Amino acid sequence: MNEKFIDHKSIYYPPGGILIWIIIFLELITFGIALVVMVNYGKQEPEIFHNSRLQLSATIGTINTLFLITSGYFMARSVNYLKNDDKDRSAFFLKFTMLGGLLFLVLKCVEYYFKIEAGLTVGYNTFYTFYWMLTLFHVIHVIVGLVILVTVFFGLRKKIPTVSLEDMEASAAFWHMCDLIWLLLFPVIYLLF
Amino acid sequence: MEKTTKIYTSLIALTVLSVVAANYTNWVTVVLILAALKFIGVSFFFMELKKAHAFWKITLLLYLMLFIVLIILLGSN
Repeated sequence: MNEKFIDHKSIYYPPGGILIWIIIFLELITFGIALVVMVNYGKQEPEIFHNSRLQLSATIGTINTLFLITSGYFMARSVNYLKNDDKDRSAFFLKFTMLGGLLFLVLKCVEYYFKIEAGLTVGYNTFYTFYWMLTLFHVIHVIVGLVILVTVFFGLRKKIPTVSLEDMEASAAFWHMCDLIWLLLFPVIYLLF
Repeated sequence: MEKTTKIYTSLIALTVLSVVAANYTNWVTVVLILAALKFIGVSFFFMELKKAHAFWKITLLLYLMLFIVLIILLGSN
């Protein structure tokens, strides 16, 4: 755990590592451009976007936001415990982090099920094309994040842990990135139009 | 209360507040500013960006500012 001595004030070593932060910025720019384009389309078809937005459940969106924020909180606690060499507590909080992600996915599946049942699929109108593309792309990120966290969890549980603090910080940064993307998606898709 | 827990409580409060604000028309700017505050809370405290070099902090804030301004400008016309 000699990563404790990494100087995060150096431009080359942001918390989690420079590579994960390059990925984070690329992802944020991609989602950001897509959301700006969506709002631009919304200006051209205001009625369609408004009526479609009203068909979405802001309550489900809010609960999902709370799941991700809570999961992110547990992730931050997990990293803090690992920094203090408390692997057991770190693994304990990691379990709750993964639970938050799973609950998010379950609720998203429920939301998708009702949308598909109502015939509001990807080609229904411009709003739903953006809704499906952006939220599904985000869901893929959450699934990848969960796979990373499961790997980290089992690495931590080994007698001689195979996970370093740097690995943990990079995994946490990826997981928080899912939070960040959702924090941009939620107000624009569920509340704006 | 631990700092991470304080930030978490603030993020929950901001989420509830943004849903309340969304029920009022012409509160788009408020909803987006609340989203920006949550974004800063997660990135600077949960991701510990506050410990990073100024380059990363400024780049992220510039990105966020550009995003919010573009959405407000496009959404208001």
